[in-house]
Amino acid sequence: MHDRTTVDLLQGTLAALILKSLSWGPLHGYGIARWIEQITEDELLVEEGSLYPALHRLQARGLVTSEWTLSETNRRVRCYTLTEHGRQQLRAELSRWERFSEVVTRALQSRRPKTA
Amino acid sequence: MNERARRERRIWRPEIGADIDEELAYHLEMRERDYRERGLSPADARDAARRRFGDPSTIRSAVRTIDERAARERRRAGMWTDFRQDILYACRGLRRTPGFTAIAVLTLALGIGANTAIFSVINTVLLGSLPFPDADRLVFIWNTSDGQPEPIGPGRLRDLQTQVTSFESFAGISHISFTLTGRGEAERIGGSSVSSGFFDTLGARPLVGEPFHKGVADPSAVVLSERLWVRRFGADPSIVGRTITLNGRPRQVVAVMPRRFIWPAITAQPSAADTGPELWVPGGPGDVPRPATNEDEDMTGYRNTGYLRSVARLKPGVTFAQARAEVASAGTRLSRSHPEDDGRGATLVGIRNQFAGAVERPLLVLAGAVAFVLAIACANVASLLLGRGAARRRDLALRRALGASRARIVRQLVTESIVLSVAGAAAGLLLAWWGSASLLSLTPPDMAGLTRSGIDARVLLFTLGIAVAVGLAFGLVPAIELSRDQLTDALAEGGSRSSGSRRTSRTRDGLVTLEIAVAVVLLVGSTLLVRSFTALTRVDTGIDTHNLLTFDITVTGDRAEYQSRQVQFYDSLIQRLEAVPGVRAVGAAVTLPIGGDDFGTGYLVEGRPVPKTALRAGYQIVMPGYFHAMGIPIRRGRDFRSSDDRKAPPIVLVNETLARAQWPGQDPVGRRVRFDDDGQWMTIVGVVGDIRHLGPSRPPRPELYQSVTQRSFPFIAFVVRTERDPYDVMPSIRRAVVSLDPDLPLSGVRTMDEHVARALSKPKFLSTLVASFGGLAVSLAIVGIYGMMAWSVTERRQEIAIRMALGASREKMLTMVLGRALFLAAIGISLGLAIAPLATRTLSGLLYGITPTDPVAFAATGVALGAVAALSALVPALRAARVQPAAVVKY
Repeated sequence: MHDRTTVDLLQGTLAALILKSLSWGPLHGYGIARWIEQITEDELLVEEGSLYPALHRLQARGLVTSEWTLSETNRRVRCYTLTEHGRQQLRAELSRWERFSEVVTRALQSRRPKTA
Repeated sequence: MNERARRERRIWRPEIGADIDEELAYHLEMRERDYRERGLSPADARDAARRRFGDPSTIRSAVRTIDERAARERRRAGMWTDFRQDILYACRGLRRTPGFTAIAVLTLALGIGANTAIFSVINTVLLGSLPFPDADRLVFIWNTSDGQPEPIGPGRLRDLQTQVTSFESFAGISHISFTLTGRGEAERIGGSSVSSGFFDTLGARPLVGEPFHKGVADPSAVVLSERLWVRRFGADPSIVGRTITLNGRPRQVVAVMPRRFIWPAITAQPSAADTGPELWVPGGPGDVPRPATNEDEDMTGYRNTGYLRSVARLKPGVTFAQARAEVASAGTRLSRSHPEDDGRGATLVGIRNQFAGAVERPLLVLAGAVAFVLAIACANVASLLLGRGAARRRDLALRRALGASRARIVRQLVTESIVLSVAGAAAGLLLAWWGSASLLSLTPPDMAGLTRSGIDARVLLFTLGIAVAVGLAFGLVPAIELSRDQLTDALAEGGSRSSGSRRTSRTRDGLVTLEIAVAVVLLVGSTLLVRSFTALTRVDTGIDTHNLLTFDITVTGDRAEYQSRQVQFYDSLIQRLEAVPGVRAVGAAVTLPIGGDDFGTGYLVEGRPVPKTALRAGYQIVMPGYFHAMGIPIRRGRDFRSSDDRKAPPIVLVNETLARAQWPGQDPVGRRVRFDDDGQWMTIVGVVGDIRHLGPSRPPRPELYQSVTQRSFPFIAFVVRTERDPYDVMPSIRRAVVSLDPDLPLSGVRTMDEHVARALSKPKFLSTLVASFGGLAVSLAIVGIYGMMAWSVTERRQEIAIRMALGASREKMLTMVLGRALFLAAIGISLGLAIAPLATRTLSGLLYGITPTDPVAFAATGVALGAVAALSALVPALRAARVQPAAVVKY
């Protein structure tokens, strides 16, 4: 039950996390997964595979681009780069998230109002 | 999934699929390596990586769907960009050659405009929506006699109604003229007496008030059309409940039908011969619509007096074919049990056929004619494009060498032609808009009621469709042809005549040949129609139509009560009119030939057994002196006299055709005949000359004439033979009528020549239009032949110059070019003459006095087009002959 809630919440914000992960430079899919893993300290339990549909959807929307490069082990790897459009989207997501979390936090921490 | 999507998927699957597989595999391998590095066994590491990843096949298909959709969108966007680029490029190119563009657009505008104009008429007349709910379930019921539809008698109609189960509801209709008096000038108005269920059957709703309903109809009710309401009553909103006077009797207005309730006169031969009725009244005893001849008689028992039209609505689920079969078998069954039904059959006509059947074929013929014109226009523009393209060969070859695919170049060239055709369509719409106005003014009266043609969304869609189709049609051939060149060929040409331009020349030859063939077909068709029309105008109708004025009158009130009073009144009117200066003779008839009413009857000959199939004859009722006034000769015996009244023995006159059929080589005077539903024998007292009662195109048939003095009606048509233009005499005639009765309305004032012109208006309309389209086709063909020959002479200047330098004479050059044109023309003409019979077959039935394969028309067309081809090639040929070898060869 607890896990399901986490996953549902993640669905909406996975895109934002991906955009954030790419804000420091190009990464391949596994790199993005590793970043999320480290940054959230494995708090978010999610099937890593669901990263890929999200990534490709972002690409279709023009928020990221991809390119095949060679890895250090000389393998063909698809690397994703944030586009200018993606960067704007990230900023928008960020401020939206901040507003959202602020409101939710305030709401959850509020005390029971005194009845007159 | 549709076919295209499946094909795309097949094309895109390998690449997209492989990429995704590789990406996902890399992820799994890296994760596996991580776990191994953390100390898991290889097998555990792989399991853990899988678990963490989720189901790869689900993810793979999700990703692929996303990528494929993205790829499709990208391609679409790319095509749109290319398309915009092509359009810009095409516009720029067309601006650079304004002469070519103008000719091409004009040619296409003529072709497309003609098609749009004709389609706009077809759109309203044949495809337009009818103003009734579920209109296509409405059918009309007719008797058939020798396969010809005719009205039904009330008794038989009632039997049909009770025996046929296919109908949901059912109404009889009878056309009657009414005289509207009181408040303003008396006026004769066409109306209908209908069964009480008439409006219910049609499902028609009124504009104001409430029309009568099935089983509940006040016998003195009247429903007005909007037209009459506006014209006579100034659209008075309080009209419902008011009393008006029709045929001298009060009637209460109960409703007004809206303008969109279009209801033409219903006639047996599908044609809207008159303007439709303007008012409706309920039927008489037994809910039977009243006949025009007698408003009070109980008609329910009559079987053989066929005056009823009737409309029915099919039950849900019953098809037209089923209903028609049922009606046909019921008709035959009834005729078996009722000998007085004269062995007639019964049939159904669908509402669209009933309303527009008469104009359907002419319209389809016109549609065919304009399609031919368009085909020629296309061939012309294709040929022009080829000629123009030749100059751009090197440009196109260079673009291919620089990497443009052949498909890309074809697409670009086709875009150019579609831009041309859309421009042509825009100009064509203007022509059609202007043209349909003049089309309307040319339209015969019986078509005019149906042509409220205009340019609506459907017409616009049609025009756009044509424009694109036409752009593809004339653009594709040159595009494929021009994109064939390889760079090496084109560059090596260096301006001289090459294989490429020879190929272009062959294609152009083919196009011109085709164009001539199509022009031949169209010209043969128009020659046939024009010759048919000319033949019709020369037909001797048997009447001297010159300076003959006609008009109708209807008497009402006391005067209409008794036949003797009617005759007395007609007599005194004739005497007054004869006294008018400028009047030579006066006659009167209940049924006027050519454009007037027509009665028919079955008859028996005294002393002969009753024949198996009834003898039929036209039945006309005329006043003494009528034949003299009409210029119809009395061949034997005598005319009617005033003394031949109802107390005298009944007499008839017959025409020559009837006399010849019944008494060949003998004198019929003194013999006796009688109507097959009436017991009195009538003596033949004379034989009169044949006339074409139904119009110039219908041959004379047997006619029986009875005298008004022995059988009269409260309405009659007058004919006045004048010394000069009848309209000069008209005011005095009107004064003479008013002096007798100021309340007597005169209607249908026309000269007999006008009646004849009206009868000929449809063949005239058709032949005029087809001939103008034929003319258009020939002028386009001239432009085509000229353009092609001029181009070819320019292309071959060098060759001609060399030949002349080597000693060929100017005459030789002249005949060479002319010979080439005539050779192509000969092929085109033979081809056209071979196809033409297939096309002209559609004209049979529309032609008079000429067969669809008339050899003279065919030969004349062939010769005419040969001459046209020679003339069009003459200027280029002369130019070829004037080539100065020295000037050209120097290059």
